[in-house]
Amino acid sequence: MMGMKKNSMIKRESVFLLMFFSLLVFSESLFAQQRQISGKVTTADVLPIPGAVVKVKGKNGGTGTNNEGAFVISAQTGDILQITSIGFVAKEVTVGQSNTVNVSLAEDNQALSEVVVVGYGVQQKKLVTGATVQVKGETLQRQSTTNALQGLQGQTPGVQIASTSGQPGESIKVTIRGLGTIGNSGPLYVVDGVLTGDITYLNSSDIESIDVLKDAASAAIYGSQAANGVVLVTTRQGKRGQPGQITFDAYAGVQNVAKKVDLLNASAYAAIMSEAAINGGKQPLFTNDEIKAFGEGTNWMDQMFVDNALTQNYALGASGASEASVYSLGLSYTGQEGVVGGKSLSNYQRYSFRINSEHNFYKEIIKLGQHFTYTDIKNNGIGVGNQYNNSLRGAFNTSPFVPVYDENGNFFDNSQSTWNNGEANPYALMVYNNQNRRNSQRILGDIYMVIEPIKNLKFRTSLGMDYNAGESRSFTPIYNLSAYAYSINTKASQSMNKGKSLIWDNLLSYKFTLNNDHTFEAMVGSSAYRADGSSIFGTNTNLIFDDLDHAWLSNATGKNIAGITIGGRPDDADRRLSYFGRLNYNYKEKYLLNATFRADGSSRFASQNRWGYFPSISAGWVVTNESFMESQKGWLDFLKLRASWGQVGNQSIAAFQYLAPIQLSNTNYIFGPEEGVLTPGAYPSRISNPELKWETSEQTNIGFDANFLKGKFTLNFDWYNKTTKDWLISAPILATAGADAPFINGGNVKNTGIELALTYRNNLGGFNYSVGVNGAYNKNKVGNIPTADGIVHGLSNQLFDNALEFYRAQSGFPIGYFWGLKTAGIFQNEAEVQSYRSAGGKVIQPTAAPGDVKYVDVNGDGIIDNLDRGMIGNPNPDYTFGITLSGDYKGFDFSVVASGVAGNDIVQSYRNQSNQYGNYTTRILDRWHGEGSSNKIPRVTEDNRNWTNFSDLYIQKGDYLRISNITLGYDLGKVFKKSYLKQVRLYAAALNVYTFTKYDGMDPEIGYGSEGFASGIDVGYYPRPRTFMIGANLKF
Amino acid sequence: MKAIKIYAVALGLLSLGACKKSFLDTEPITSVTDENFYKTPKDAFTALVGCYDGLQVVWSEGVALPVAAEVMSDNTFGGTGNSDGFGYQMIDEFDKARSPSDQNLYERNWTLYYKALYRCNMLISKMDQIQWGSDAQLRKTYESEARYLRAYLLFDMVRLWGNIPLLTAPSAENIPQSGADDVYKVIADDLKFAAENMPEVAYPAQAAANHGRVTKYAAEALLGRVFLFYTGYYAKGDLVGLVSKAEALAYLENVITKGGYGLIEDFANLWPAASQASFAGEDNKETIFAIKYTYTSDYDGNTDGNHWMVMTGIREQSFFPYGNGWGAETVNPKLWNAYLPSDTRRVGSIISIVGEKLAFTNQSKQREYTGYYAKKYSPMIGEDGKPLPEANGNTSFQIGQFQDYVSIRYADVLLMAAELGSGNAQTYFNAVRQRAYKDAFTPLMVSQDNIIRERRLEFAFEGIRYYDLLRQGIDKAAQEIAETTTVLNGGKSAEKKISAANIIATKGLQQIPYTQINLSNGTLKQNAGW
Repeated sequence: MMGMKKNSMIKRESVFLLMFFSLLVFSESLFAQQRQISGKVTTADVLPIPGAVVKVKGKNGGTGTNNEGAFVISAQTGDILQITSIGFVAKEVTVGQSNTVNVSLAEDNQALSEVVVVGYGVQQKKLVTGATVQVKGETLQRQSTTNALQGLQGQTPGVQIASTSGQPGESIKVTIRGLGTIGNSGPLYVVDGVLTGDITYLNSSDIESIDVLKDAASAAIYGSQAANGVVLVTTRQGKRGQPGQITFDAYAGVQNVAKKVDLLNASAYAAIMSEAAINGGKQPLFTNDEIKAFGEGTNWMDQMFVDNALTQNYALGASGASEASVYSLGLSYTGQEGVVGGKSLSNYQRYSFRINSEHNFYKEIIKLGQHFTYTDIKNNGIGVGNQYNNSLRGAFNTSPFVPVYDENGNFFDNSQSTWNNGEANPYALMVYNNQNRRNSQRILGDIYMVIEPIKNLKFRTSLGMDYNAGESRSFTPIYNLSAYAYSINTKASQSMNKGKSLIWDNLLSYKFTLNNDHTFEAMVGSSAYRADGSSIFGTNTNLIFDDLDHAWLSNATGKNIAGITIGGRPDDADRRLSYFGRLNYNYKEKYLLNATFRADGSSRFASQNRWGYFPSISAGWVVTNESFMESQKGWLDFLKLRASWGQVGNQSIAAFQYLAPIQLSNTNYIFGPEEGVLTPGAYPSRISNPELKWETSEQTNIGFDANFLKGKFTLNFDWYNKTTKDWLISAPILATAGADAPFINGGNVKNTGIELALTYRNNLGGFNYSVGVNGAYNKNKVGNIPTADGIVHGLSNQLFDNALEFYRAQSGFPIGYFWGLKTAGIFQNEAEVQSYRSAGGKVIQPTAAPGDVKYVDVNGDGIIDNLDRGMIGNPNPDYTFGITLSGDYKGFDFSVVASGVAGNDIVQSYRNQSNQYGNYTTRILDRWHGEGSSNKIPRVTEDNRNWTNFSDLYIQKGDYLRISNITLGYDLGKVFKKSYLKQVRLYAAALNVYTFTKYDGMDPEIGYGSEGFASGIDVGYYPRPRTFMIGANLKF
Repeated sequence: MKAIKIYAVALGLLSLGACKKSFLDTEPITSVTDENFYKTPKDAFTALVGCYDGLQVVWSEGVALPVAAEVMSDNTFGGTGNSDGFGYQMIDEFDKARSPSDQNLYERNWTLYYKALYRCNMLISKMDQIQWGSDAQLRKTYESEARYLRAYLLFDMVRLWGNIPLLTAPSAENIPQSGADDVYKVIADDLKFAAENMPEVAYPAQAAANHGRVTKYAAEALLGRVFLFYTGYYAKGDLVGLVSKAEALAYLENVITKGGYGLIEDFANLWPAASQASFAGEDNKETIFAIKYTYTSDYDGNTDGNHWMVMTGIREQSFFPYGNGWGAETVNPKLWNAYLPSDTRRVGSIISIVGEKLAFTNQSKQREYTGYYAKKYSPMIGEDGKPLPEANGNTSFQIGQFQDYVSIRYADVLLMAAELGSGNAQTYFNAVRQRAYKDAFTPLMVSQDNIIRERRLEFAFEGIRYYDLLRQGIDKAAQEIAETTTVLNGGKSAEKKISAANIIATKGLQQIPYTQINLSNGTLKQNAGW
C-alpha cells in the first residue's frame, strides 16, 4: 500500500522538479557579463593559504587556491566573493572595478567553529550540550597503527582502549567511562550512519573523523544500542569547491618484541626441581655437578618470537569536487606480520577500496550520495585465548630440558622422555596446531537521498548495508610430540559463513529561527534493521596431500562417520524497529537546550518486553555570550557550562534467550548390537526467562568547555554519574539446576568519574607547538545483584588446571574484583608456624612448614577458608591518561603520544600449578630457601601448595605509562617547490617506544579477560610489538 | 501544496513498520523450544533417549565412578603417569594434602550427574501433558525408564558424595543437601515403580534392537543392590521403610526365575580383552543392565564413547590385544594373590606383565607400578597395532573406546540373592564358582564372609568391591583398605601408604567440588576431611 502511494508521489514530484530545473537554466542566462577575477589568499602574516575555497555568493561551484594561494574565478562587479578555508575565519569581499582581489584571512579560533558529528546529524561544537570527543582522521593516521581504534589511545579522555592481544588483526577493547555491564561492554559503532559492531576493516587513511559520544544524552538517539557509548566514524568525503587532490601515504617498519619474560635455564630449573623434591622430604633429584652440566637448555621464549617482523601500509587517495558533485576514493593495503611465530603463523593483510560521492540535482533540492567500502582481509593466527588455547603459554610451562629438534632436524618427540614425557615442544605445537588460513570480505556502505525543497526542511532517506562473507580452513598433520600431544591422522576443516544486515533510515528535520533569537532544530526519524546470515562447516580425515594448501574437504578420504563432522545453519534472525526524535533550541547561542527520545523494538525479547523507550535532555549556557562577560574577553574567549541526563539501552544478547531451547544435536544413545548406529534424543538445554528485557544505562553529566588567551589554551571538564540497571547477565548457576543458566536482568553498576582535557598551543617565531594532557578518573561499584548470594561468580579453570573462581561481581565492590586470600609474609621457622594462632589459641595453619606462605585469618576463627577471602585487587584502573606533544618548524614536524593507566591490578599466572614440572620465571630465584631468605615468595614444593589457593601472591600493580608513538617528519615540498607537489613529507616513527611500569610481565596493557566483565588477567599474553618505521605522505 | 504531499510521503516512510507488525517476530530454525516440545509420544521417546544420553556422558570428563571405586577399594592403587598430578593419589589415600590443587576433581561429574538428573526430572514432570493416545502401557514404560535412570543417577551420587542436594523436579534454587534417607526414599520409590510397571519380557524375548533399555529385571536387580548397600552402610534393617529384606529378595528371585538370563559359560568371554574372538558379545544373556558406548565420540560435542577406559590401560605401551592407556588402577598384588591359580577369573580379570611375558619397558613413566593391570576394561589394539577405535574411524583412542560398562550382571543377582538368604543360596553360590573354577571346582559352604570374598574375585574392576567393603561398616572397610607397601614410582622404589584414619574421617566419601560450594555461597557443605 505504502509503495503505491510513494510511486504516484514521485511522478508528481518530478514534474515539480522539472519546473524548478527550467527556472534554474533560465535564470543563469540572465547574467552574462562575467570577467575573470584573480587574486591571492594569504594569512595575516602574508603566507599563502593553499586549498582555500573561493565562491561567488549565491552561486554553485567555485574554485580553490593553488599552492601559492592564488585563484581565478569568473564574477562581475557587485558580486560577493566568499572565501573559506578550514582553520580561518571566512570572509566576504565585494568585487569592485579591479580584476585583482587579494584577501587575507584571520586565523580562526578553531575549537569554536568546528563541526562535530552527533547521532543522525552534525552540530557546531560550540552548541553541543553533551559530552563528546572528536579525533580527526589525520591524527589517527599519524599514529601509523593497523587498527584505527588503537590510534585513539591517549587522545580521548574517559575512553579506555586496550588491545586484547598483540596479534595482528585482533580486536581492541574499548571501554567508555568504566565497565558498565557484565555482558558485552563494547560501544556501538556507526560508520556513515550504518550500525556495526566492528571497524577493524577500516584503514585510518579512509577516516575523516571519529566522534565518541560518552554521555547518555548524546548517545540516547541510538537508544537500545548505546548503553556502552557510541563511536561515530565518518569516512572521507570530498568538499565543495575543493580542487582535486591525490594523496599517497606509505609506511613500512619492523617489529620486535619489546620485553620477553625471563624463564629459568636448564641448570636453574634442575636446581629448583631438586629443591622442591628436597622440600617434600625426598632425595635431591640431581647432584650439583649434574645441575651444572645441564647448562642453558632450550630458551623457549627465544623460540617463540621472531625478529624484525614486517609491518607496512600503502594508501592511495583521491578527492575533489565538481560543480555538482563531491567525491573521495581510497585504495589501501595493510600488512602486518606477527612477532610470535612470524608470518606463516600469525599474519594480517587487509586490502580496502572506498568510494564516497555526493551529487546535487535540481539546484540542490535533491542530493544523492553513497558511501561504499570494500575490504578483503586475509589472516591467520595462533591461539591467544585462555590457558587451553594459548600458544605462548606452552613456552612458559615447558622445561628447558626439551630440545627443539632431534638429530634429524625434526621437531623433538618428547614422548620417550624419562623426565616428563607429558610435556611437548611448545613451538612445534604452535606450528602444528595453527595451520590455518582465513579470509573475509566485507562491504559496508549506504545510498542516501536528501530532499530539501524549502531551505532547512530536509528529508533524508538512506539504505545502509553491512555485508560480510568469510571462509576458513585448517590442517592438522600427523605428529607425535609427547604422551598427550599427538595426532594420528591428517585432518582438514573448512567453514564458510556469510551475513548481511540492512538498515533503512528516514529522517525529517527542520531548522528555523524566530525573531532572529530563537533557533529551533527539530528532527524525527525512523529506522528499520534486519540481519540474516548462515554458515556451513565440515571436518574430515585422511588427506591425500599432507599440507595446508591441499587441506580441502575434497582431498579428505575419511569414510568413517567418527572422523567426519558436518553442519550448517542460519544465523538467528535479528530485527529492530526504531522511532526517534530530537529538538534543539538555542536563544542567541547563549542558552542551549536539546531533548531526544527514542523507542526501539527488538526481536531479541519476548513480545511483551519488546519495546524500550529512551529519553534524554541536556542544556548549555554559553556564559561568554552574556553581556556582563564582555569585559572578560581579553582572557576568556569562550565558556560554556553543560548539563545532561539520559537513558540508553543495551540489548547485546543472542537471539531467543527468553526461550528454553530443546537441544537436538549431540544427544544420541546407542541401543542394540550395531556399533555406530545412534538413536537421536533431546533435552532442554537452558532455563527460559520470558521476563527478559533491556538493560538500561542512566547517566548524568555536568561539564564545561573553556577557551582562554585567544584560543591558545583550551580546557574541557566533565563529571558523570552512570548507572547501568538490569544488566543482561547469564550468571553461572549451581550445577543442581541441571541446565545452562538463563539470561536474567540483574544488578546494577555505577561508574562515577571526572574527565579533564587541557590543550595549549602557541608559536615561537616559526615554531608552532601544542601540548595536550588529558586524564580521567573513574570509580566503579556494583550493587543489587539478584542472584541468591548477591554474587556473579567468575569462571573456574582460568589460572591453571582446576583453579577455582578468583574474580567476581558483587554488591559494594568494583566489577570483576579479585577475590582471594591476603598473605602476611612467609613462615621463617617452625616457631612462627606454631605461634601463628587465633585469639582462641588455635594454630591457624597447623600443616604449614617453614617457607610456606602465611595467610591472614580475616575473620579470626582460626581456620583459613572462604570466609577469609575478600577483595585483594581491582582490575579496573582509577585513572587513565594521555599526553600529546606536537610541533612544527619550517617543514619539520614532530609528535609524541603517551598514554597510561593507574590504580589497577593485574593477576599473572604463567605457570600451571597443577603440574609439578612446569618451568618458572626467574622471579622464583628470590624464593624462600632458608630462614630469612625471603618474606615474599614462598618455598618451592612439588605440590605447589602455596599457589593452589588464589592469594595476593598472584597480584601485581598494573600502572603504566607508555610512550606509544614518536614521529619526526620533514616536508620536502618546501625544497622541491614544484607546483604539482603540495606535500612530500617523509617521516620516521617509533611505536610502543618505552613503557614505564613495575609490572614484570611482557606487557601491562592486558585487554584480555576470560569473559565480558573480567579483565587484567595475564595467562600468557601476546605482547604488543615495538615498531620502528619510515613513511611518506605525498599530496599532489 | 506539493511540498506538503512530499512530507506526507516522508511521514509515511517514517512510520515504516507500523503496518508490518510481524517484522519483529522471528523463530529459531535449528531448535525447538520447550513451548512446542513434550507433546507427542514421539517427543516423549526422544526426551527419554536424552535421559539415556545424560547417563552415558556422566563420566566423559572428570573421574569416572567405575575407576574411582576401584582406586578407593583395596583392589588397585591410583597409578597414572609419573609426571602427572596427584589427583588419583588423593582419591586413593583419601588425603586432600596429596594434591592441594585438586579442589574440583569431580566438578564435571557433579555437573553432568545433575544435568542428567534434570533431563529425567523434566521428562517425568511432563508426563501428564503428553498426549499418550490409546497405548496405555506406553506411558508406564517410558515413565519407568526415566525413573529408573533417575534412581541410578541418585544412587551413584549418594554413594560417591553422601550428602547431595536432592531434586525430584527441575529447580534453579540454591538447595541444601538432603539427608541420605530422603535420597534413598526417592531411589526406592522410583525403582519400585519401574519394577511394578514395566512389562514382563524375558531376555530371550527382548528384541536385540532394544538391548540397552531399562527392563523390569534391571529395576529389580538394582533394588537388590541398593537394599544391600543402604542397609549395610547405614546399618538399617530395611530400605527406608519401603523395601523389606524379604521384598528385596523377592525382586531378585523374580529376575532369576522369570528373567531368562544366565551365566556365560566361560568367565573370560565376558571381557573383550580376555577373550578376543570368543567374546560373548555385548548385551549377552548375563547383562542385566549396561551403560552402552560406541565409537562416534569427537571433540565437537558428540559424546558417545567410553571416555574413561583409557585411564586403566597399560601406561603408554601396547601389546596385542592390550591397548595403551594412562596406567591408573595399578592392581594391588594382594588381589592377584587372592585368586587361586585354578581360578579362571584371575587371568580373565588381570594382566600380569611377568605372567604374560609382556616386554613392558615404561616403568619410568608409570607411577605406583605393581606389575599388574586391570584387564576387564583394558583398551584394545588390533593385530596391526592400531587402537580399535581407529579401525572404526575414530582418531582418538582416548575418547573412541566403545566397550559397554556392564553395570549389573546375572552373577551379581545370584550372589545378592544368596546373600539375602534365598532358599537356593548354595545353588546360586555354586553356579558362580563352578563357572570360575571349571574342573577344579570344589564346593564351599555359602556364608556371608564367603560371599563377600567371592564377590571380590568375581567383580574385580567392575566398580563393586568398594561398596561391598563400605557396606560392612566404615571401620571394617578402612581396615581392609589401609595399606603400607612398596611400589615403583618412575621405576624407583617408593613407599605407598593408605591410612585407615583418613578413610574413617571421610566416611569413605569423596570431595564435593569447591566451585559448587563457592557458587552456593556456603549452602553446600563440604564433606568431612575434604
